[in-house]
Amino acid sequence: MSDGFSAAPAIEIEGLRKVYDGKVVAVDGLDLRIERGEVFGLLGPNGAGKTTTVEICEGLLEPTDGSVRILGRTWRDDAKAIRERIGVSLQETRLFEKQTVRELCALFASFYTDPRPVDEVVDLVGLGEKRDARYKALSGGQKQRLAVATALAGKPELLFLDEPTTGLDPQSRRSLWDVVRRFQAEGGTVLLTTHYMDEAEVLCDRIGIVDHGKAIALGTPRELIAGLGAAHVVELEADGLDLAALRGVPGVAEVEDSAGRVIATVERPHETVPALLAAVARAGVELRGLSTRHTSLEDVFVHLTGRTLREDQREDGR
Amino acid sequence: MSWLRWRVFREVTAMALRDYLRTPDAVFWTYGFPLGMAVVLGLAFGEKPPDPSRIVLLAEPAAESSAWAGFEKPATDGLAVERSDDAARAHDRLILGAIDAVLSGTPDRPVIDVDVARPGAALAELRIDAALRRARGEPEGPRAEIRPVDEPGGRYIDFLIPGLIGINLLGAGIYGVGYNMVQMRVKNLLRRIHVTPVGRAEFLLSWLASRFGLSLLPPFLILLFGILTFGVPVASGAWSWVVALIVASAFCFGGLGLLISTRARTTETVGGLMNLIMLPMWLGGGAFFSNQRFPEFAQPLVKALPLTWVTDGLRDAMLGSSGEGFTAPVACLLLAGFGAVTCLVSFRIFRWT
Repeated sequence: MSDGFSAAPAIEIEGLRKVYDGKVVAVDGLDLRIERGEVFGLLGPNGAGKTTTVEICEGLLEPTDGSVRILGRTWRDDAKAIRERIGVSLQETRLFEKQTVRELCALFASFYTDPRPVDEVVDLVGLGEKRDARYKALSGGQKQRLAVATALAGKPELLFLDEPTTGLDPQSRRSLWDVVRRFQAEGGTVLLTTHYMDEAEVLCDRIGIVDHGKAIALGTPRELIAGLGAAHVVELEADGLDLAALRGVPGVAEVEDSAGRVIATVERPHETVPALLAAVARAGVELRGLSTRHTSLEDVFVHLTGRTLREDQREDGR
Repeated sequence: MSWLRWRVFREVTAMALRDYLRTPDAVFWTYGFPLGMAVVLGLAFGEKPPDPSRIVLLAEPAAESSAWAGFEKPATDGLAVERSDDAARAHDRLILGAIDAVLSGTPDRPVIDVDVARPGAALAELRIDAALRRARGEPEGPRAEIRPVDEPGGRYIDFLIPGLIGINLLGAGIYGVGYNMVQMRVKNLLRRIHVTPVGRAEFLLSWLASRFGLSLLPPFLILLFGILTFGVPVASGAWSWVVALIVASAFCFGGLGLLISTRARTTETVGGLMNLIMLPMWLGGGAFFSNQRFPEFAQPLVKALPLTWVTDGLRDAMLGSSGEGFTAPVACLLLAGFGAVTCLVSFRIFRWT
């Protein structure tokens, strides 16, 4: 995993713009710096410019403007050298259906100058028992792990994972997380996009949230959550609540209306919840539900983009 | 060679080979189908006795029948004789082509009605003439000898086998190379491969090599089948040209398949391109019938079809002549040259995504 040619950041993006057909602005002046050895999560609603950004980094798309350096090099001058050092798991790739796990890993390994031994790659993603199974006989989770295996075949320094766990069951997701962690432990850098906030929170050292082609927040999950100003969330389910009145309750940092539920961020729930309940009682409305929890990345996302990722997925029909 | 690494070549060719062998329907269409076609067409146009000439003898049933006595069983003269006294109906049947001739008059002064525009007319005339001579007990005398063409080398099956080989190689190139490549693009597989350090020419050449190798065997099976079943001739000195032509054709059509796959993004697009290329070749490439019968103005067009080069070349090598067509060496050069050009152009303009 040693890097002989520079100690430059894994990814350096400056003023990146991508305009499709001269009118649709997908990425609008994005700046981003991803250090070596970190797992960086790029989050954002659909159409925010995540995949465009990632595909520019992978050398699949040309930027309209701005600069992108991958491991200190540019696609214009060093495309082959970059490809030798990155591993990519694209969104929605089907591999060759009639080839086995081992054959596919051997195929992709052959493309690299100094590949990882094939059996090692297969074991790395926990597909040892399936090494002779054909691609089409694998489950969704196994297919995704195999996609990551082909990305690891060339001993990459930088791994791109575009929604690697979408549609997987919890167990499959966890086993992919282990693969990512092991890769990081060996010194690798990961750029990850995901729809799952818990995944980002668990896996990522830092997170960038993009919307309308711009980075609107950047930091560690802890920093982003702290940015909301309070550590707990109280959710009230009731109709006709006066948000302004609730904002006036002592200890309430923020109140938002999200799809029929009122979400209040608070510092000390044991003190603030009774006060909130009193306010509900004064308003004379019926309370159908009440819950409290720690503030999550999901809350940050909703606060910043005004949408939940799941709403977004439904819009997409996925 | 740094642009072509042995392990990439080995892995990609092995992958393509496995992919093919693990697709039973593809194996059927490349092996079973052309052999089945050779059997069916061979049976239809192969060796069978020539049809007899169907004639109607206009004669009164009782009185004069003895006069035509020698005409009763003229099987050896290739005639199927039907007696009738209905002249009008016999005439109608003659016009419609249901019979070849109507015989009337007396054995001494016979009258033969034929439609001279029909292909069977002259043959029917000759046969009746021969039958009459025999019936009258006349010496053989000078009479035309009827000699149907059924020698190996002159039959339809001999003409057909080179055509089937050409059609098979055309399909292998266009479908095996072209269509499958577009499938890889549609499934985002080429995009996935593009983000690795593999070179464009390196990948394409390895892919082509595998499909090229796969396409070489079926033509020889078709040929072998023709030789063993129908006795299709291949002159002893012609084998090297036959082999060279098959190899050059596989290369040519592989290159053509690669070329149509370089930009097509959907299977519909490549399907259209495949039809655009294959249909003129099926019709004008001389596979099933001679394209030398096309009118003069169309000759440059049919001569420009690579399938014409294959069928002309193979017929020249196997049957000793391709008529007005290309000779085997010229056909070989054209095919190899076309293959080289399409490959080089494909390597340059190919798109992964």
